[in-house]
Amino acid sequence: MDVKVRIDGVDHKGQAQLLQGTLWVHVNGRTFTMDAGAGRKSRKKAGAGGSSDTVSAPMPGKVTKILVQTGAELKAGQAVLVMEAMKMEYTLKADIAGTVDSVSCAVGEQVALGKALVKIKPSAE
Amino acid sequence: MTKMPGKFTRIAIANRGEVAVRIIKACEELGIETVLLHSEADIHSRAFRMATKTICIGPAPTAESYLNIEANINGALAGGAQAIHPGFGFLSENADFAEAVTKAGLTFIGPSAEAIRSLGDKVHCKELAKKAGLPLVPGYQGENQQVANLITEAERIGYPVIVKAAAGGGGRGMKLIKSSAEAAELIESAQREAQSAFGSPKVFLEKYLDRAKHIEFQIFGDSIGNVAHFFDRECSVQRRHQKIIEEATSPSLTDDLRRRMGEAACAIATLGKYKGAGTVEFLLQDGEFYLLEVNTRLQVEHPVTEEVLGVDLVKMQIMTAQGEYIHDPKMIRIPRGHSIECRIYAENPFLGGVPSTGLLGHVEWPEGPGRRYEYGFDSGDTITPYYDPMIAKVIVWDENRPRAIQKMIRVLKDSVVFGVHTNIPYLIEILSHKEFVMGTMTTRFIETYFADPIKEPELNEVEKKLAAAALAQARGAQTSGTQASTSPWASYWRGI
Repeated sequence: MDVKVRIDGVDHKGQAQLLQGTLWVHVNGRTFTMDAGAGRKSRKKAGAGGSSDTVSAPMPGKVTKILVQTGAELKAGQAVLVMEAMKMEYTLKADIAGTVDSVSCAVGEQVALGKALVKIKPSAE
Repeated sequence: MTKMPGKFTRIAIANRGEVAVRIIKACEELGIETVLLHSEADIHSRAFRMATKTICIGPAPTAESYLNIEANINGALAGGAQAIHPGFGFLSENADFAEAVTKAGLTFIGPSAEAIRSLGDKVHCKELAKKAGLPLVPGYQGENQQVANLITEAERIGYPVIVKAAAGGGGRGMKLIKSSAEAAELIESAQREAQSAFGSPKVFLEKYLDRAKHIEFQIFGDSIGNVAHFFDRECSVQRRHQKIIEEATSPSLTDDLRRRMGEAACAIATLGKYKGAGTVEFLLQDGEFYLLEVNTRLQVEHPVTEEVLGVDLVKMQIMTAQGEYIHDPKMIRIPRGHSIECRIYAENPFLGGVPSTGLLGHVEWPEGPGRRYEYGFDSGDTITPYYDPMIAKVIVWDENRPRAIQKMIRVLKDSVVFGVHTNIPYLIEILSHKEFVMGTMTTRFIETYFADPIKEPELNEVEKKLAAAALAQARGAQTSGTQASTSPWASYWRGI
């Protein structure tokens, strides 16, 4: 749909579309997204930075290697598993240091976007 | 003696996505019907809707459909086709497939199985290149694959050395060895990857040229054995050894270099008895060029050559397979202006390029002079995790390189893709980088300047207000600028 807002007497135009709970907006040569879920702030960026105690699938794809076991000590930034999607391999890393609490996927498993794959028990400060 | 095929009335396409669409368009112009050989996952695609006939050849995994030789040939025969166009990727450089197609009484639109074998195998190709007197990157292509021997050879060549899968491509089975300390581990890893990806652990070694440019020549062998080149492309902007941006002609060649490299490309293609479209790839460093490999197929980046020369390489391929394309010296063209192609990948550039899949929403490619789009999906189609992330190619032409760069940036900014994230913001940053603008980029350009994910800029006030207004509008609420500016949603934007 076309969208228009008037700010200080100037009209600004863009395009937008609500798709499966996400609002897609294109304005001034840029496309961005916004979570349209009522009252909810953005979902966690799965497996991508921040300080999450969970390594989640950043994309739908296949788990090809699991590099850690339950109970193993982890350093922040350490590789924990490898996924494959669209013919490319991606290594997922732990955001924080700690101990592997649980691994909830298996090699060869096709996982959905956002699925929790490895849970980490943070190390005490 | 090989029977000369007659004019085709129906061609099978053993491929998918934008190249399948490209082939269908060429066939339509030639009055030829098409049979799309597709997987179960591709029934919602542009090629599926455009082809005259469609035949499902198997489930989504490529090994069971697009890479299944028997299924493709049976599909082509069932569809009543006389020939198969393999596009690029999948079976396009598979000599066994080319041979099986011919044995089944069909015509393979591409070089002969013999030419694919002699030029497509990287090690064999280098042996042929030696005979043709082409300069090669110092290396080792021997049969002794013992790790200890490969380490000795790497020491002789001198680090950094790159180890590559002999049957490889697309960056798989390829490792850069910077010192003897890591040689054993990386060679073994490359051998394992080569075995897993290509069914053969054979690797070879090459001196790593750390300031090289990737220059390639489009070659074409006509129906009666003449080989000509259709000038050069530069493809130095590569990530994980995969090209992202290509252009024609290269901004790095002098007239003398262009002439010498073109002659070298024709020499090896002639020796390989080449017919149809192919590409000879070179590395260029410090004014010296070295043969990298020969690609015995149409390339993803063929449109930039078509744009500067005004030719249709796909039609030429089909006509050559029909025995009716012969180079006309009077029609030899001089490249005109400059063309750039950007590959649009379904990935999130703000999260290091992780794949982005899902249902495509509104899609818009802005029209205008010197703009061309090659795409395989429309609004309402689904981008699946099964295949390559490339969903479209944007190609521009303008009078010179600076204008072509400016045009490409504008076109990318005006292109709209909703439903999946794309690398468009990443491409715009690359095109705006001074090294790219100056044309001085090397194959290390991306790792030097774009090693980390690019940062998503904060939304400005206009963007926030427009997004809030859009959300309100989407929910059917009354919209106004004032309402929008106070919406609590305005701060909830994010990159997903």
